[in-house]
Amino acid sequence: MSNNEKKNPVLFFLQESWLLMVASIAFGCLLACLNAAWAPKIAQNEIDKFNKLAGNLIDTATQFQSVDEPIPVDIGKGKVYNIDVKKGIDADGNIVGWAFVCEGSGFADKIKLVIATDAAFEKLAGFGVLSSNETPGFGDKINIKPEDGGFYQPQFIGAPVGKLELTKTGDPGKHDDDQIVAISGATVTSDAVVKIFNTFLVPVKEAMEIRGLL
Amino acid sequence: MSDGTSLGKTFFAGIWDNNPVLRLLLGMCPTLAVTAAVKPALTMGFSVIFVLLFSNIVVSLLRHQLKPHLRILMFTLTIATAVTIADLALKAYLPDMSASLGPYIPLIIVNCIIIGRAEACASKNGLVVSIIDALGMGAGFTITLCILAAIREVLATGKIFEIPVMPSAFTPWAAMGMPVGAFVTLGLMLGGVNLISKKSA
Repeated sequence: MSNNEKKNPVLFFLQESWLLMVASIAFGCLLACLNAAWAPKIAQNEIDKFNKLAGNLIDTATQFQSVDEPIPVDIGKGKVYNIDVKKGIDADGNIVGWAFVCEGSGFADKIKLVIATDAAFEKLAGFGVLSSNETPGFGDKINIKPEDGGFYQPQFIGAPVGKLELTKTGDPGKHDDDQIVAISGATVTSDAVVKIFNTFLVPVKEAMEIRGLL
Repeated sequence: MSDGTSLGKTFFAGIWDNNPVLRLLLGMCPTLAVTAAVKPALTMGFSVIFVLLFSNIVVSLLRHQLKPHLRILMFTLTIATAVTIADLALKAYLPDMSASLGPYIPLIIVNCIIIGRAEACASKNGLVVSIIDALGMGAGFTITLCILAAIREVLATGKIFEIPVMPSAFTPWAAMGMPVGAFVTLGLMLGGVNLISKKSA
């Protein structure tokens, strides 16, 4: 131990680390100010992204409004997701569909989806991908929209709200059954999307029926 | 090192002689990960330029106060702040690009180019030299990423910035959009640079 340290360890500590402490406080304040300035814009971007994806799925909806309180969904292992279900409303104020965000583990990272259903919550209107990090050329085919030639997303349109089943073979052109044909070479990602539907769809529907929303 | 010729030399060293990707082999992770298309490569390049400038300016201004045994902590603190600012700015003003780049923006914190220039240049030189060094290194990184991305995007999709540039008979090489395409293209670029250097030596 040096003489300085022996005399007053606190003073020695301050002499050595004052610059680090001052910089920490200054940078912290800078980040806090920037976060306060940009957080509303970032939150609005999230809302806009949801509205865009949900609007593509329920094209008669002119706006989306949250219903009541978020619906808690227990996905097991003590984990509970609070699902903010939004009703799609057309120009006349009628409910034309429902949409909500949910997520699950994919092959590489979490997959975040916007799931949409019809107004009766009986048939799916499809899904959109909010965020994913799946293998390019394989798992990322879940992002390809029907209008861009994707075959995976259209299978969910018109499918019944209930347990879906992933198959490796079959006719991806059939849209009104519970069979979903996997993307070749991306079974894990395909299964992950189906699992997300199976985890959240039925509990959300049951909770909405209990609340008298359906 | 304060006259115009030296500053020019410092700037262009970052683009060719000390190019961080092609000569120093630094920043390989984002180089391979975000160069499937030119847009994300350009965004990553400008983000790195911003972080380099911020880091070099702060470190240069504080270089006489830095304790040797605490300088790495100070560098890391500065770089992390700059990267967080860049990340927030992208989320606010370029949300699609932020989503596309994903974890690679926060990973700029561990990009060796940034801390390497803080240690090798900014902590030993004045403000002007540090700024020029940051701009040169950042430009070198950005140009390299854009060239790599342009090659991969054209061969993988036949387009650049959604504009078709290949004839309609061209069959896209899907592999160029995948990691294997990144490794092969970067390897060929490195070989080409070494060949040019050997010939001019």
